[in-house]
Amino acid sequence: MIRDIIVKWAPLLVLVFLVLLFPIFEWLEDFRAGKDHIYLLDSRFFSVRNASRIAVAATPGLMVAIGVTFIIIMGSIDLSMEGSVSISAVIFAFAFLALGGTLLSWAWLAIPAAMLVGAGIGFVNGLVHVVFRIPSFMVSLAMGFVGTGLALVLTGGDRIRIEDEVFRSLLTVRWLNFPIMCYVALLALLVAWFIQSHTTLGRNFYAIGGGEELAQASGLNVARIRVLGFALAGVFFALGALMAVGRIGIAETATGNNFMFISIAAVVVGGTALWGGIGGIPNTLVGILIVYVITNGMVVIGLPSWLQDGVLGVLVITAVVLSTSRKSISFVK
Amino acid sequence: MTHEILRPHFPWITLVALIVIVGIANPAFFSVSGFVILMADVIPLLIMAIGMTFAIYIGGIDLSIQQLANMVTVMTTVYLAQFGISVALLVVLVGGLFGIISGFVTTRLYVPSFVSTLAIGFIALSIAKWLSNQRALFMDATLRDAHFGWMFGNTMGVPHELVIGLLLAFFAWLLQTRTPFGRALKAVGSGELAAVASGIDVDRVKIFAFGLSGMFAAFAGLMFSVKLSGGDAQLANGFLLLAIVAVLVGGTPLTGGVGGIINTVIGTLIVMVIRAAMVYLEIDATQQQMIFGIVLIVAIALTIDRSKLRSVVK
Repeated sequence: MIRDIIVKWAPLLVLVFLVLLFPIFEWLEDFRAGKDHIYLLDSRFFSVRNASRIAVAATPGLMVAIGVTFIIIMGSIDLSMEGSVSISAVIFAFAFLALGGTLLSWAWLAIPAAMLVGAGIGFVNGLVHVVFRIPSFMVSLAMGFVGTGLALVLTGGDRIRIEDEVFRSLLTVRWLNFPIMCYVALLALLVAWFIQSHTTLGRNFYAIGGGEELAQASGLNVARIRVLGFALAGVFFALGALMAVGRIGIAETATGNNFMFISIAAVVVGGTALWGGIGGIPNTLVGILIVYVITNGMVVIGLPSWLQDGVLGVLVITAVVLSTSRKSISFVK
Repeated sequence: MTHEILRPHFPWITLVALIVIVGIANPAFFSVSGFVILMADVIPLLIMAIGMTFAIYIGGIDLSIQQLANMVTVMTTVYLAQFGISVALLVVLVGGLFGIISGFVTTRLYVPSFVSTLAIGFIALSIAKWLSNQRALFMDATLRDAHFGWMFGNTMGVPHELVIGLLLAFFAWLLQTRTPFGRALKAVGSGELAAVASGIDVDRVKIFAFGLSGMFAAFAGLMFSVKLSGGDAQLANGFLLLAIVAVLVGGTPLTGGVGGIINTVIGTLIVMVIRAAMVYLEIDATQQQMIFGIVLIVAIALTIDRSKLRSVVK
């Protein structure tokens, strides 16, 4: 019982611990150098400006991680995010430029178009997974390769620049120190949380993750829900793509790079179990913040950037190990 | 029923059919010397795919091979001057160690292999970036030729890398078919519960399988770095997809237990013929990844053993 409570709150505690940890290193450094430094108050890490920096960096990853959260709750996995993000970003960019190139014209249609592309890829993922009964990690991995490949075919390896000021205001216009994209992400987060906890579909994800046979026996159309889940995940991948393009102003084949590992890291570090049925959207928010607080904090206290991938790797393994109840599993593949 | 009888023969029938089709479209494809060059080119992929075969054969997957090979290209380049030819031994051992760690995390810590190997791959990436200072490194040409010149030589028209690849494939085949480990591998791949019941140390077999996967990936990385005369944390990118395709198209299903090294050799040849066909048919190289992604989905759908699906990650 106590273990359950610890497991439930551990990710948040880790986040708080990390946020308080990095300023200690800064304080130590200034203390050694004999400078005046009041802990937290004089910290460069613990400042609104840096918080905004972390939020902006984390926004695309948060969208992608939210998408895959739905899938992992179902006990499946979606590894197509890199390809989905790339192809959504590229098609968005092409449509945006073709329809006028500014958000104030018909070009706004490129946004729903990108979301449709994401949903479409997710739909195919789910359909192939359910109809041909192929494990989801393999279907989605292959679909991801197809997505990246398609993005490469469309762009021919070129970068597409989106210079529209209205669209770029996602990043450039700030309200209360945070760019608009953070508020858009917050809205998407709330929508995702609502879907998870206040819709039948969301509850069904948990039912499938908790026990597929039981869900089927209780009259759920498991196959249909799975396909819908993958399509929903695809929509959030596309949102991630839009945020990524909004952040750097470029859509290219490489737009999707690294999202696979970061989003899965965020989900498992946040405490959503890979076995399904446990965790949810709030966990993913905590998880993505942990991931980006670590990468940002390591830079602030001057650790080399090559360390980041390795630290995340260790973190993911640790998180999965800690969240696994050994009694309930017999074999692992 | 006929489907079940035919299934083991699909891979080589596919290969022969592809060769005939491509050959009819372009008779130049049948030239022996051209064919030998094509095969020599595909050897690093073959070696990677052989390693991957062990991981898939036991019903797992190894997503770290690409990053391991990347790390090895950097290690080889950095340590060539210091260790000379023994750098080969060093990198293969390091690759094996990473594989063993993946296997340990998978079996003893209950982390699914697609997550554990993904994470271990990122640790390897970290090391590669550290060793290379995040730059592309180049080998000293004299040193390279002195120590590894034999790798890419040519004896009586037979490229050495082809011989190396076939020797490694033969070694892996011996391991799979003629040793107690090979039998244990088959038992684990066919059904873990039964394997446990017959007294096989399943965890040890799996850890060893991942270790082999790492060692072969490292050897492939070694060949890359010698061939391209350098090292880079991204040099081998793009090979993960092709290695998985080669294993699955060859007829080793994701569910494990059947197929094996010979199948992977056939699968690699299929990949080679498809690539060659793309060149002849003047399909743009940018489409390669998309095409192989689709081939992968079709191959999985055709080979997977659906009666065993319960034991695989959903």
